[in-house]
Amino acid sequence: MAMVQPRNLKYRVWATRIFLILFILMIMLPFLMIISVSFRTGNFATGSLIPENPTLEHWSLAFGIPWTNADGSISLPPFPVLTWLWNSIKIAVISSTLILMLSTTGAYAFARFRFRFREHMLTAMMIFQMFPAVLALVAIYSIFNTLGNYVPWLGLDTHGAVVIASLGGVTLHIWLIKGYFESIDGSLEEAAAIDGATPWQAFRYVLLPLSVPILAVVFILAFIASVGEYPVASVLLQDVDKLTLAVGSRQYLNPQNYLWGDFAAASVLSGLPITLVFLLSQRWIVGGLTAGGVKG
Amino acid sequence: MAEVFLVDVSKSYDQGKSWVLKNVNLSIADGEFVAFVGPSGCGKSTLLRMICGLEEITKGDLSIGDERVNDMPPNERKVGMVFQSYALYPHMTVRENMAFGLKLAKADKKTVDQRVDEAARILQLEPLLDRKPKAMSGGQRQRVAIGRSIVQEPRVFLFDEPLSNLDVSLRVQMRQELARLHRRLKTTSIYVTHDQVEAMTLADKVVVLSPLAEGAESNLEQVGAPLELYHHPRNIFVAGFIGSPKMNFFDGTLLEGGEEYSRVRLNSGSEISVAVNAVSGKAGDKVVLGIRPQDIHLVESQGNAIEGTVSALERLGTESFIYFAHPDIHESLTVRVEDSKARHEGDVLTLKLPAENCHLFDADGLAFRRTRVTDF
Amino acid sequence: MSDVVLGSGTNRIGNGLKWALVAAINLLLLYGVTLMYAQGEMAFALLVLIITATANWVFLSSKAYSYRYVFPALVGVLVFVVFPLIYTVNIAFTNYSSTNLLSLQRVKEIHLAKTYETGGGSYGFSLYQNGESYQLNLQGKGDNKHSYTTEDFYLMGAEGLDAIQVTTLDDSSQPVGDKLAIKELIKLRQGLKKVQITLPDGTGLAMTGLRSFGAIAPVYLAGDNDTLIDSRSSAVLTPDHTTGFYIDERGERLSPGFTVYTGWDNFIRVTTDEGVQEPFLKIFVWTVSFSALTVVFTLAVGLLMACLMQWEPLKGNGVYRLFLILPYAVPAFISILIFRGLFNQNFGEINMVLNALFGLRPEWFSDEGLARSMLLIVNTWLGYPYMMILCMGLLKAIPDDLYEASAIDGAGPVDNLMRITLPMIIKPLTSLLIASFAFNFNNFVLVELLTGGGPDMIGATTPAGSTDLLVSYTYRIAFGQYGQDFGLASAIATIIFLMVGVISWLNLRATKKLQES
Repeated sequence: MAMVQPRNLKYRVWATRIFLILFILMIMLPFLMIISVSFRTGNFATGSLIPENPTLEHWSLAFGIPWTNADGSISLPPFPVLTWLWNSIKIAVISSTLILMLSTTGAYAFARFRFRFREHMLTAMMIFQMFPAVLALVAIYSIFNTLGNYVPWLGLDTHGAVVIASLGGVTLHIWLIKGYFESIDGSLEEAAAIDGATPWQAFRYVLLPLSVPILAVVFILAFIASVGEYPVASVLLQDVDKLTLAVGSRQYLNPQNYLWGDFAAASVLSGLPITLVFLLSQRWIVGGLTAGGVKG
Repeated sequence: MAEVFLVDVSKSYDQGKSWVLKNVNLSIADGEFVAFVGPSGCGKSTLLRMICGLEEITKGDLSIGDERVNDMPPNERKVGMVFQSYALYPHMTVRENMAFGLKLAKADKKTVDQRVDEAARILQLEPLLDRKPKAMSGGQRQRVAIGRSIVQEPRVFLFDEPLSNLDVSLRVQMRQELARLHRRLKTTSIYVTHDQVEAMTLADKVVVLSPLAEGAESNLEQVGAPLELYHHPRNIFVAGFIGSPKMNFFDGTLLEGGEEYSRVRLNSGSEISVAVNAVSGKAGDKVVLGIRPQDIHLVESQGNAIEGTVSALERLGTESFIYFAHPDIHESLTVRVEDSKARHEGDVLTLKLPAENCHLFDADGLAFRRTRVTDF
Repeated sequence: MSDVVLGSGTNRIGNGLKWALVAAINLLLLYGVTLMYAQGEMAFALLVLIITATANWVFLSSKAYSYRYVFPALVGVLVFVVFPLIYTVNIAFTNYSSTNLLSLQRVKEIHLAKTYETGGGSYGFSLYQNGESYQLNLQGKGDNKHSYTTEDFYLMGAEGLDAIQVTTLDDSSQPVGDKLAIKELIKLRQGLKKVQITLPDGTGLAMTGLRSFGAIAPVYLAGDNDTLIDSRSSAVLTPDHTTGFYIDERGERLSPGFTVYTGWDNFIRVTTDEGVQEPFLKIFVWTVSFSALTVVFTLAVGLLMACLMQWEPLKGNGVYRLFLILPYAVPAFISILIFRGLFNQNFGEINMVLNALFGLRPEWFSDEGLARSMLLIVNTWLGYPYMMILCMGLLKAIPDDLYEASAIDGAGPVDNLMRITLPMIIKPLTSLLIASFAFNFNNFVLVELLTGGGPDMIGATTPAGSTDLLVSYTYRIAFGQYGQDFGLASAIATIIFLMVGVISWLNLRATKKLQES
């Protein structure tokens, strides 16, 4: 809008800027504090935002390196944070890849083929998707308990189980990809069919290469959802070395064993890579979310 | 290259409750250029899509060459198709677009290159081979789309309104190029268009389709050479559809059906002699008289003439259209003249309807055979 | 591509391979089904059978071509969403809980396996290891001067419940191999507990302590119709199929119980038992208000920020946006735990600041009102960036000339918001707001990680807290530290299923209406 603006606009702009900066400071405060806490000595230390006696104690422990205290005693890392981070990333990458594959093929059929029960399937999937996994945990536990008797690597306390359990959450992604596919001219695939392509080849060589942006969005969304998944993983995983970050991090703030400083360092260390992935891809995600959201 | 036969081909989207196309029978000879024309909703594009396999054939048989292809998926039919939207793969260069089908068929690289280069040469696409479709004009995209089907060396070329997205001057140029291309390749071609000029200029044979009327046996109205359709339309629909501006129709009754000339009384009372063989009709039958706007003469003469009141005028320089109100015509009666004499709204003029140029249709809309066709 | 004529290539060798592979996979799956059926896992056997059958049809029939693409996703949804749902609804009608965990058959086996010492002699023992196999040497204690050596036996693969039957050798034979120390014995004790020794006179011995074997006899004997007969008192215990316990003549229950269908009992408990009904209603009201307030707060903050971001004079808003999105970018579980620490009453930074400024130390985790406000504050912080992103997308779609026209009409920013912006975006936003409501209705992670549901409500017979949402309440009933009542949890879950189902159905209808208009 390149309109003629009222004269007091300048002040309004400045007021808004100051408001925004204050708001952002408030929003950022928890992060600044947690960074500050991670450099303070001990687990109950208080102090100003900029620590007076910065120490690398918590950071060393977060990296899994034992720390020699000033009095000569040695603190051992309380939890294998890097292992948890690795577990989380591993599970997230595999399950996002699988989710991407399932939802892309599913979305292709829903977008391009007409078949019986198509509408019913879409509606039913949408409604079922709304049911939180937390409520069916007894059943999910039971499924993997049984499954483990026949396929050991899908039993309880395995990462395979967590990956497979995430495959129920494909519906929203199917809707998102379906909307994108429908925006691509269907005659492209018809042209491919006449060029001699089977429906699979038309999908693989024509539709997929054109859909890379939405596939990236879905992958990132699935990745973030998987990293943050708590209830299912908390029930399926038991062994300390097998926990994901979401399940494990909680153990730092046990009332009986309150490791505030250690938690601070560990959370900054493990949260950073995931946050960076998100921020680097935020442009796509914002586009994907609004497009998917507006289309419903 | 191959013949195409359609026997009773029909299409229904609701298991036979209602039909989009019904009983289309057609044989297309090897190397022939056939155009499907008809108003929108007549099913011409559907028919084309059935031939290439993008739509299932509900009833009837379709054969290409010697094989029945009803149940053959499009990728096995060996036909080429040019889409209205061109449907070029946006993520591939021109070369990749044209080579896509050959690569799917696992042709060796030498053949692929050779055929793509050959097609590019014919269509003058050589400088564009490494461009993506986004960076090209409509006409260039059109040529790539054609090139993509050429390299496949299909048995039949199918065109689905290929020129409708181009502007007028480009359309004329591409029309000529298509005609030249067909003379050169001599591949059987089927061309769908709503533009009768394209159909008339390009095709060896024109197929006129109409939207299926209630209870009709077929929506295939007439098949024939372009001028045959113009001079000997089989029925009112074809007569009205072919030719621009549209033919004028008058309601009347048959007075006398002769072998060379027949006499008709228009509802307004004028008696007109028409050069058709109407011996099959009885005196008193309801008939419709048709005449094209350019065949009506504005002359002071007695006999075979009617009077009309000028209701509107369009003067275009070399020619003028004069619209008359006439009691026998619901819409206005159109006359095309090549002079620019001053005429005014409300003028009452005499219109001569030369017997040799008149068409006559019976109550069912079927034409009586014209006997004195001069310019055909 | 409607009605595309579909078909597949005819590749002979490929076909042969395909059929062989299909046959192999089918055999494997059918073998699994048989195993499950043999183990009494009816539900799972049926599930796998249905999936195998439909998979065969979908991938082998050319008529089902379209379904091939949807099938894997559908199986995912079926197995991990629909099946658990049906399973949960089924459990809601049982008394499945930590006290009634197993089937009647298994409970009967457990009771039958209970033994008592008959006093028929006690023996000290030493264990000898010879490679993979073991031998026991038994020495009579007290008056009992007998000594025995057993035959070789294996302790490997002793995970099952089956006893290891061992007989003794001649008196003269001596064990072979190394005598194991007590440390090793402790390691092997699970296996040793299953060893049953039959002496030459037919007496059965089993381990009675870490250093002794003794004569034992089963407490219960199997009677007719699944009854148990107490071998000491000859009392008859019958399985009570309404409560799921074995009871004697006086009605005393014998633990553990077994799982039985109890009809609507769990639902009746939810609606009539005051210890369940009262917290349930309170939690329901709180859940609805929490979700509604969250939607209102996040929308208010998100819309405000979105409007500011779209405001032309604010150049360089890319940086602002980056910071504003940050709470959404950091994994929620980390942020929630950070807040948990920051709100800590004693060493939390927030109370430190409040203390320094106003001398206040609010009890965030033990006061009901404060705990609930904290939950809302944290959730608004977490949720506004999503609303901001959505609103930014919707605002972009509003044509500029509307604002230009309103400027000519002399409208101010508030008029613009109320007369143009809100009416333009409210329609597409409705379904998103309902979805957000449904999400927060089930926002388990927030409650579980921030407050764990606390502070606890007084007078509830099930663990219930004042910040509990229905989901976390259910979770705590099912997986809490004090007795796991899966049946009751499933009944509540079923009720939530119905409510969420209605919400999402309404949402779908709203979306459809929107698309039609």
